[in-house]
Amino acid sequence: MSVSIGTKAADHADAPAVVMRGITKRFPGVVALADVTLEVRRGELHAICGENGAGKSTLMKILSGVYQPDEGTLEIGGVPARFTGTRDAEKAGIAIIHQELALVEDLSVAANVFLGREKRTALGLLDDRSMHDECGRLLESLECPVSPATRTGGLRVGDQQLVEIAKALSLDASIVVMDEPTSALTESESARLERTIKRLLAAGTTILYISHKMDEVFRLADRITVLRDGRHVRTVNRVDTSPRQITSWMVGRELADHEFRQARTRGPTLLEVRGLTLPWPDHPRGYRLSNVSFDLHAGEILGVAGLMGAGRTELLETIFGAGEPTWTGEIRLDGKPVRFHHPREACDARIAMVTEDRKRLGLFPDLDVAGNVSLCSLSEALRGGFLSRRREEDLVAGPIRDTGVKTPGPHAAITGLSGGNQQKCIIGRWLLTKPAILLLDDPTRGIDVGAKAELYALIDRLCREGLGVILTSSELPELLTLADRIIVLAEGRLTAEFARAEATEQKIIEAATGG
Amino acid sequence: MSHSHSSHKPVFLLRPAEWALVAAIAIAIALTALVDANHSYWFQPLDSLRDIARNTALLGIFALGATVVIIAGGIDLSAGSMIALSGTVCATTMLALAPAQMMGFKPVGAVAVAAGCLASLLVGFLVGTLHAWLITAVRLPPFIATLATLVGLRSFARALCESTTAAFTPTKSALINISDPFFKTVRDNVWIPVAVFGVLAIVTWLLLTRTVLGRHIHALGGNEQAARLAGIRTANVKWFAYCFGAMTAALAGLFYMANESVAAPVNQGRGHELNAIAAAVVGGCSLAGGVGTVPGTVLGTIFLRVVIDAVSKIIKTGADVYEGLIVGIVVVIAVTLAQVGQFAKGGRGLLPGALGLCAIPTLAVLCGAIVSMTAGGRIGIAAGVGAAIFLSLLRTWESRRSA
Repeated sequence: MSVSIGTKAADHADAPAVVMRGITKRFPGVVALADVTLEVRRGELHAICGENGAGKSTLMKILSGVYQPDEGTLEIGGVPARFTGTRDAEKAGIAIIHQELALVEDLSVAANVFLGREKRTALGLLDDRSMHDECGRLLESLECPVSPATRTGGLRVGDQQLVEIAKALSLDASIVVMDEPTSALTESESARLERTIKRLLAAGTTILYISHKMDEVFRLADRITVLRDGRHVRTVNRVDTSPRQITSWMVGRELADHEFRQARTRGPTLLEVRGLTLPWPDHPRGYRLSNVSFDLHAGEILGVAGLMGAGRTELLETIFGAGEPTWTGEIRLDGKPVRFHHPREACDARIAMVTEDRKRLGLFPDLDVAGNVSLCSLSEALRGGFLSRRREEDLVAGPIRDTGVKTPGPHAAITGLSGGNQQKCIIGRWLLTKPAILLLDDPTRGIDVGAKAELYALIDRLCREGLGVILTSSELPELLTLADRIIVLAEGRLTAEFARAEATEQKIIEAATGG
Repeated sequence: MSHSHSSHKPVFLLRPAEWALVAAIAIAIALTALVDANHSYWFQPLDSLRDIARNTALLGIFALGATVVIIAGGIDLSAGSMIALSGTVCATTMLALAPAQMMGFKPVGAVAVAAGCLASLLVGFLVGTLHAWLITAVRLPPFIATLATLVGLRSFARALCESTTAAFTPTKSALINISDPFFKTVRDNVWIPVAVFGVLAIVTWLLLTRTVLGRHIHALGGNEQAARLAGIRTANVKWFAYCFGAMTAALAGLFYMANESVAAPVNQGRGHELNAIAAAVVGGCSLAGGVGTVPGTVLGTIFLRVVIDAVSKIIKTGADVYEGLIVGIVVVIAVTLAQVGQFAKGGRGLLPGALGLCAIPTLAVLCGAIVSMTAGGRIGIAAGVGAAIFLSLLRTWESRRSA
């Protein structure tokens, strides 16, 4: 089970804070981590970099007991450890602040900080006052202007993150893992978090910091480890390297973008969006999208860049009729104004949308591969009014072949396929509807690099066949590789539009951060 | 579709779990034939068959409805009250159309019978619509919406019965006797409900496996948000599912009324909704939605009724005394067996920690009490002690294995 701590500091004063050796972790269809070894020194800030799907979060979930490794060993402060749950890791002094925050929204801040370790009075009742007071002290030390009695769900994301950190502090954690903590923070919140991190380091805490923001990493880190495709690439001192070098290790190879460099032939205008505004009641900003205008032509890929919360998904959902119906402005399809109230109407108008978050919004785990692909075109699989197994197999054979899905057969379980192949199935589902416009919302998220390259080739080919594609991505290189034009959203406003020739990462980031 | 979540291996008519149910049914019948001291399966095989067939058909008709609702990712707790309401609506309609004949225990005529039955089915459609509206427009969780109608419809049925009897007969009553020959025929000919059940099962099976709507029902239950984003009008699919659930319960309600020759809103069908859900779950439906088959539910229904019949034959008390207990035990065992692989593979134990320790005497006392009530005190004590010893050994083995 867990290690006994307490004495470890005395016994192993110079042992590294964490040693993970030969860690391998497999998920159905994917090797998330392959023989990764990581050593973290006591009191350092160790940054872990890698692309999405590189295995950073999985490695940290193993360190904090969420997952158990299939192979490999773990040492905390020189003592071998085997965690069967997060509780074991907490006992060993490890706290993790997850990318997706793990707070109980309906409980107060203080109750969340002490969840599972509630303080009690002599009578055994909850000692709310002492929890409230201690929580208040912790929050104060974090510059968090929030009362411990506040309902957690009502807090801003930045403050919720500080609540998680307060929880880690209340554990007296000697090792704190932060998984992309600034991805949802404003600039001032990020600065506040950086001050907190420096205070923790000064107090001797070891911090593992996952981020793909290079400026942050190079401001804070002592050492940097790069992971790629579930493998350890290199661990270096920050002073011995440069952001450029780290990025090249993360990507590993130049993505084969030259294939897409030949100009595509741009067709007629398919979609015109004019002054699209989507209100956001009960939010200080007041809108999710404000006065967004752009065109989409046949045979081009329009990239939509923007940070998390910039409104990329909302934009696609509004066009597709899947979002809030309260939008104003005009959407014209082939010159005619349209307003879809249900995705069905958008499908009928030959628009297709591959949603972000495949598992939650795209996949049907109880249907097989064929069922997942044929779902939107079942009327073509009918014989005499009833679904025919043969017709369905014939129907899905085309898209399965065209998109290059690797599956044992049309009736294999979809959950047994890798993420990339699942995504191809969903794209295949929409191709069967013979769309004129394809909306792709972060289609390569959580997919390994090899499968990404295949998806790029597929998207490029579809575009050359005359589809108009709108592509959002959380990864700029992806947009720069694929898109003919890139529009940039910042907090719901369209702040820039670039032709591919003039777009650079630098320019896009400036526009995306409100420049 | 029937091959959706197993692998791509060919399936021989039924899935393995369904073959296991067939075997379990055969074993239950064989055991009863051997153990029953009256040997009624030997001497009155037709009577026993008729009994089981009638009960299976009546439960099965609305268990099919429950199956569709559950696969669509919902739950319908109101079936038992819908049964009561259905009978009451039919009876009150006939009473209103032919009060003299109803009171004189004379035939009420084909028109009144047809009107009564159609009114019941129409009310089933209305109740299903109400459920779908509460769930999709008002956004109540299905559990809450159908809990409200579970208590509400029965009360409504009773009020309807009392006010109609007050209006058309000398005294207000919470019962309406049914003596029309049509319903007597239905009561006396078991093949009628069995045939209706059989046809309905085939229709439901075709619906779920061979139609676009059926595929959409599976998709809705498997991932509602994704279904909407795939352009499926999820509200309409739910509307259909809840109407199917309520209308099958209404149909079953007509048979219950015929069977008991009375419309009795206070007690008719009470608690039956849970039997229907139990039959679906024993047959392999997942309450999380998206998973389930018609053959599974049919076999689950047969199994439940066979076990209930077996216990009543062996113990020689009214079946209704132990019915709830049997349904409860069968559901727990069936769902446990469905995940027995996970326990066998290790990692999980049945009796872990302090909870496992306390579960041992709990289960032993339960086992001892049931056996002593049915087979006598001494045997009961022995059974309790035996269960305690067995569970202790199991726990010891589990803790050794995980260490």
